[in-house]
Amino acid sequence: MKLNERSVAHYALSNSPADHRGFLRTWGGPGTPPTPSGTGRRCWFVLKGNLLFSFESREARAPLGLVVLEGCTVELAEAPVPEEFAFTICFNAPGVRPYLLAADGPAAQEAWVKVLSRASFGYMRLVVRELENQLRDARQSLALHRHSSWKAGTSSCKTQPPDQLSRGLENGHTLSRDYSPMGLVEAGGSRPAGRNLAECELQGAASLLGRGQSPVSPETSCFSTLHDWYGQEILELRRGWRQRARGSQLKCEQQDKP
Amino acid sequence: MRYNEKELQALSRQPAELAAELGMRGPKKGSVVKRRLVKLVVNFLFYFRTDEAEVGRREGGPRAGVGELGSPDGPPIRLVCPQPVGALLLEHCRVTQEEPSGFSISFIEDPERKYHFECYSEEQCLEWMGALRRASYEFMRRSLIFYRNEIQKMTGKDPLEQFGISEEARFQLSGLKA
Repeated sequence: MKLNERSVAHYALSNSPADHRGFLRTWGGPGTPPTPSGTGRRCWFVLKGNLLFSFESREARAPLGLVVLEGCTVELAEAPVPEEFAFTICFNAPGVRPYLLAADGPAAQEAWVKVLSRASFGYMRLVVRELENQLRDARQSLALHRHSSWKAGTSSCKTQPPDQLSRGLENGHTLSRDYSPMGLVEAGGSRPAGRNLAECELQGAASLLGRGQSPVSPETSCFSTLHDWYGQEILELRRGWRQRARGSQLKCEQQDKP
Repeated sequence: MRYNEKELQALSRQPAELAAELGMRGPKKGSVVKRRLVKLVVNFLFYFRTDEAEVGRREGGPRAGVGELGSPDGPPIRLVCPQPVGALLLEHCRVTQEEPSGFSISFIEDPERKYHFECYSEEQCLEWMGALRRASYEFMRRSLIFYRNEIQKMTGKDPLEQFGISEEARFQLSGLKA
């Protein structure tokens, strides 16, 4: 199977941040006997993302080997392995031999096991998505707070009973009582009386996030994306306020009629 | 550089972010466009042969690993010979639109050396480009650092504390490079 090895090696040596590095003794892996023998080979290891590179030495100009850390489990090695501070990388896939590695001391062993266990792309993606949600929630809370203080000045016709904002508040963020001048808050959730507003908020933020636009993207100029991002929120809010103002005006007029 | 091909083969069988049959042309001068089944899994782009005859012959065999792939409008493609022809690690890559329905992938150390891909529409092309740009660990790291910083500014709390990873070097703001 072909692989863009030159690019991979370049990435290994580049100054992109390493997630961990250090000396480890190694057995197993391509070209070595299937059972541990001798004291193993001492190599310089560099972890970048889900890729574990090994080098002959710290100054080596090309990686010796690569382990792709997907679909594997990392565990402290147990007896009868005679090596101290050893751990294994075992793959779920059939026919893929486990790697046996040993650190220089207990602290190094623990650090390696921890960082290798969290090296998978999936773990990183989980954390990023979680933070995405948290940021969206935080922005919604902020927007609702702003909306509530705005609304305090307008007419107070109640249109609908508050619904649960289920998605937004699953992460344990609840709106504080400060945000409830109109009595909109219930335990665990709330929704502004204008349905459209929350939906616009979610859609606006979600569509931006959904498009995969991270403001820290190499292709876009950082500031203009950020500007659009936050500007979008303001535009949606304004639209919502105007709609609601019109809507509640009509409703009040209707209610006044016999 | 030594690596275990079986690790990559196993990875290529994992659920894909995106998969489709595309035209693919290697970076070497004079290379021709070949139909390939292209599959994006984590930060790797795998490409498989789409030999129809081969697929038909081996279907149902004892070692067949079948997967359903294909574009929503096209016929389903049953992949029974699961070894990829090749893989591209997508770190430090640049994705460029070459034609309305075609894009290329090149790498930072040699930007003129391009892998070309042909899609059936501009929509599909843009979809792939977006997915490929987001498919690197480096991209996720930058996003994470950004979100963490924003949340800290807005709420005063470090969202990584709940994961117990707030001290890890890879998530520090200082790790962001231009």
